[in-house]
Amino acid sequence: MSQRPSYAVGTGLFIVLGFAALGYLATQTTSVANTSRGPSYTVEAHFANIGQLKERAPVKVAGVRVGQVRSITLEPGKETADVKLAIDQRYGQIPDDSVATIFTSGLLGDQYVGIQYGSSKKVLADGGTLALTRPAQQLEEMLGKFFGAGGAADNLAGSYRVKARFSNIGALSVGAPVKMAGVAIGSVQTVKADPVKLDAEVTLAIDKKYSQIPDDSAAAVFTSGLIGTQYVAIQPGGSPDMLKDGDELVLTQSAMQIEDLIGKFLVSGSSSSSGDKKDADGGKH
Amino acid sequence: MSVPMSRDNIVLRSLAQIGECGLFLLRMLAAVPRSLRHYRETLRQIWFVGAMSLIIIMVCGLFVGMVLGLQLYDVLSIFGGTSATGTVVAIAIYRELGPVVTALLFAGRAGTSVTAEIGLMRATDQIAAMEMMAVDPVAYVAVPRFIAGVIAMPLLSCVFCALGIFGGHLVGVTWLGIDNGTFWSNMTATVEVVKDVINGVLWKSVVFGTVVSLIAVFQGYTTPPTSEGVAYATTRTVVASSIAILALDFVLTAFLM
Repeated sequence: MSQRPSYAVGTGLFIVLGFAALGYLATQTTSVANTSRGPSYTVEAHFANIGQLKERAPVKVAGVRVGQVRSITLEPGKETADVKLAIDQRYGQIPDDSVATIFTSGLLGDQYVGIQYGSSKKVLADGGTLALTRPAQQLEEMLGKFFGAGGAADNLAGSYRVKARFSNIGALSVGAPVKMAGVAIGSVQTVKADPVKLDAEVTLAIDKKYSQIPDDSAAAVFTSGLIGTQYVAIQPGGSPDMLKDGDELVLTQSAMQIEDLIGKFLVSGSSSSSGDKKDADGGKH
Repeated sequence: MSVPMSRDNIVLRSLAQIGECGLFLLRMLAAVPRSLRHYRETLRQIWFVGAMSLIIIMVCGLFVGMVLGLQLYDVLSIFGGTSATGTVVAIAIYRELGPVVTALLFAGRAGTSVTAEIGLMRATDQIAAMEMMAVDPVAYVAVPRFIAGVIAMPLLSCVFCALGIFGGHLVGVTWLGIDNGTFWSNMTATVEVVKDVINGVLWKSVVFGTVVSLIAVFQGYTTPPTSEGVAYATTRTVVASSIAILALDFVLTAFLM
């Protein structure tokens, strides 16, 4: 090799720079950056509802990241999701009565698992299970708890046609699904305004195979997600008698109007609304 | 061969160009083993089309990232979602802007000069001279420039993306005051290696690099040997590359999604 051409060093620099940029993009700005390195141990937790939790979502204690979600599985025949958490070895002092909760960062943020320490002296071992969990909060449930589920009620007949009256159906339309425990069991058949009672009368057509619905179940108009479509949710009651064709669901909960909610929210500090709240709580139980 | 100026058979002419271009690609691929002897020439071309394009790529990447940060902050603040600025900047740059803008700049900066260089070699009979000296001009002139383009384009694209993220960070965090930790953690929570970086940046830019280099080398190699012909070929390189990049971008996005 007599002399190195002048451009060779520059070309080498350029190639190194290009690959360095690629390495930076791939490792520092993507979910790879969230992958924990170093030793970790696995802890299991069972959640009734994981919401939008994803694999590799962070696990936090006091807001500080201590590990990540390794896998999310649903065993056939079981109703709870098995979530495996990989926790960094150096945070190995988690009491075995700690509570795992699924939180959302901000209103629209990603979900993560938060662990609140218990008081037990025993430490959770590798492969152990967090027995105490709190599922992801669904917006409707939260709002429902917060404002209480009021109810009007009616019964009507039909060959597995059930009626429900709502003071407000929001944007519910004919053909919208009827769900129980999140699973569609029928659809909305008619929606009409009652000229005398001045409310909305909704006929629900429910599949015959779901004939074991207690007749004190409640119907509520829910929204899928923040801006999704609306559907009727059936919340089973405890009565020994089952719904028959033509029955009317007595307990109903109208669609939540965001304006109403915000209005209630804003005035809930004032004395006039404390009565409202009591009513709401009474209505729920 | 004079510059074809007739407008009546534009469809046929375009088809003929595409066909010749495809045949030329096969010719170059066949000449790749022979051109390995000229690896130094390939290296020099990487320097010329790659390293010399770095400045323009870096400056453009920085400004694209900055303007994205500014616009997204403005729009997202309506919804109170400014914390998503980093995520959206990263995804927009990785999936679309990085490879596409880099390829357009690459066609303008490197493609035109390759076309003009080879076209002038043709016009001044250097290529004919090589043939007389039993040097295969495809292996010595065309293939090194083609390979250099295919190699340089993904690297340039990565540099563009990195500078774009930096620009978005500069405006979003340093200037507009988004929280630094939120910016990065939202980005790392959403951006995927395979979907965004490998499929988005790498594959797209490899394809764009191949297409732009092929068009540039082909236009130069087949240019009419006149000064008017060289000018015409240079223009066509930019026009054809831009159309090919944007059309292929849609097709690739549909396939890689």
